[in-house]
Amino acid sequence: MVQDAVWSITIVLMGCLAAVFAWVATGARVAVANYAPTIERAYRLRTWLFVLALLVLIGANYKTLGALPYRNALPPLPAAAVQPSQAVAEQWAWTIKPDAFTVGQTAEFHVTSNDVNHGFALYDPEFRIVAQTQAMPGYTNVLRYTFTKPGTYQVLCLEYCGVAHHEMKAEIKVTDR
Amino acid sequence: MTMAATAGRSGINARAAVLAYVAAAGIVVLLMMLLGLTMRLAQAQWLNVPPDLFYVIMTMHGAGMVGIAGLSGAAVMWYFVRRHVPVSTAVFLVNLVCFLIGAVLILGAGFIGGFGAGWTFLFPLPAHSGSLWSANAAACYLAGLLVIGVGFLLLHLDIARGILSVYGGLGAALGWKQAFGLASDNEGPPPAVTASTMVLIVNILGILLGAAVLVVSLVNLYVPSFAFNALAAKNMIYFFGHVFINATIYMAVIAVYEILPVYTHRPWKTNAAFYFAWVLSTIMVLTVYTHHLLMDFAMPTWALVAGQIISWLSGLPVLLVTAFGTLTNVYRSGLRWNLAAALVFLGVAGWAIGVIPAIADGTIAVNSVMHNTQWVPGHFHTYLLLGMVAMFLGFMTYLTTPQPRYGFGWVGFWLYVGGGVLFVLAFLLAGSASVPRRYAVHVPDWLPYDRAGSLGAGLVVIGALILVARFFSSVRAAALAPDAS
Repeated sequence: MVQDAVWSITIVLMGCLAAVFAWVATGARVAVANYAPTIERAYRLRTWLFVLALLVLIGANYKTLGALPYRNALPPLPAAAVQPSQAVAEQWAWTIKPDAFTVGQTAEFHVTSNDVNHGFALYDPEFRIVAQTQAMPGYTNVLRYTFTKPGTYQVLCLEYCGVAHHEMKAEIKVTDR
Repeated sequence: MTMAATAGRSGINARAAVLAYVAAAGIVVLLMMLLGLTMRLAQAQWLNVPPDLFYVIMTMHGAGMVGIAGLSGAAVMWYFVRRHVPVSTAVFLVNLVCFLIGAVLILGAGFIGGFGAGWTFLFPLPAHSGSLWSANAAACYLAGLLVIGVGFLLLHLDIARGILSVYGGLGAALGWKQAFGLASDNEGPPPAVTASTMVLIVNILGILLGAAVLVVSLVNLYVPSFAFNALAAKNMIYFFGHVFINATIYMAVIAVYEILPVYTHRPWKTNAAFYFAWVLSTIMVLTVYTHHLLMDFAMPTWALVAGQIISWLSGLPVLLVTAFGTLTNVYRSGLRWNLAAALVFLGVAGWAIGVIPAIADGTIAVNSVMHNTQWVPGHFHTYLLLGMVAMFLGFMTYLTTPQPRYGFGWVGFWLYVGGGVLFVLAFLLAGSASVPRRYAVHVPDWLPYDRAGSLGAGLVVIGALILVARFFSSVRAAALAPDAS
């Protein structure tokens, strides 16, 4: 899952940076005799780091910007291939119709709110987020998701909306075809 | 121009004014940390806190921490920039008074009025309490933020006036000519001036937009028919919030530029790369705010794509100029570590390391599954608790001389670091497990993360208490000692 890859990459990079800071800190006490060549080497290293950073930046953005969840970025699908569902948020409950799908179906949630900002977050049967969008008063956000696993999914509110924010849940049932 | 014995036209001692800021910030940050600890303990089910009170505490903690980050950053910035430009001690103190008035209004709104809409007061939630708080309580909160904003606006305008009187223009004070190789590095402004210029540019804009949406929200409370587009309000709130909180780090980093060289005996290099980084940061802090709106599908796609790309670009100046500059300044410098130097060094480490999870969340494909999970407080506590606040604690320690190389302060330092690492990692791991943020009640599966986070938070509070207590025990010496540099 995306989250697991992100966690692994993040913890490795954070650890590497922390190690560099620790290494410089522990070695600081012994002064180098002549600083000028050291700093020259450091600036050359920085140029290489900058090039590396740019390559990573370009690569990561090229890869991730290719699959945006926004309506105008979605591949066009015939109407018969998607199952629209109205998802309306209100302090403090969801009304989702229909809320049952089959494996392989692509649901197209039309998400809105009757009062304040809410957040429509779709959790799979293992309780990991698979898709989300904001539920805004005055707007309808379209979120497409193709169900690949059967089970009971949950919709949690993920935008703080008041005292019962943590209780604002709904279930979506996905069955085998 | 040094700070020592400079009373200024108002007759108020500038050093005493800075110490007042630092003392206020020290006390309030401890109180806000206790509120944060309470939240973690409640989520861990080690403390029984009813949901309505949890959300009040959450609101107070957010507003208080953002406010104190501003106050402490302003103390650092003002202390150092006034070596180079004339500023008014009276205006500096007016800001403190505004802060204290605003804080009283905000605390009253929460703990008396029950206001719990989150520090971000996301329109139109303040007006939809579900009978938890009255319109007057919400108005008290919004008015409190407005008063604090007015104070900061006055402070930035005064510093701008001082900067313009010496440098003639904001571009010159930013070092834009040096940034583009059009003038010699030696003629560039000192780091404190460059940083202060960047901060006043972004904060004046941020505060004005924040004030506008606060006023809109206030009117809406009493005149519900005064409708306002919720997405426009969200843009204004997140523009203000993003700019203001990031500006606190850019203010606090001045402590790094000024304090570290005192102990490494290597001056901070202000070369073209330095000025270019600050010019870029000015632009990027203002334009990246849409990374808070990546799940608002109603936004124009180009704005959200820009939010992602600029998020990634924003990491470059932090890592390759500030962090790199810090590391090369310290590297084999002969530095004998003391508490002040260690804290500001930690602050840069925290900021740089915090960039990683921040950029991750600023990537739309990641944000889709991590927005509003505990990954979010995970990343911002990394570069606020272990970044900005550490820089401030370093400044606070620096003000009291002599610098201890041993002693109980180091116990505080290591508790702060160790506890802080545990605290933020617990949040990040929980976020990767899809644990939502801002939930008063957690399910059993999430409790291990909450309990680890609570332990970390507890250690941080003890560490911070030791460091702040150390300052207070030496504050008389700080008031009387000559300026440390």
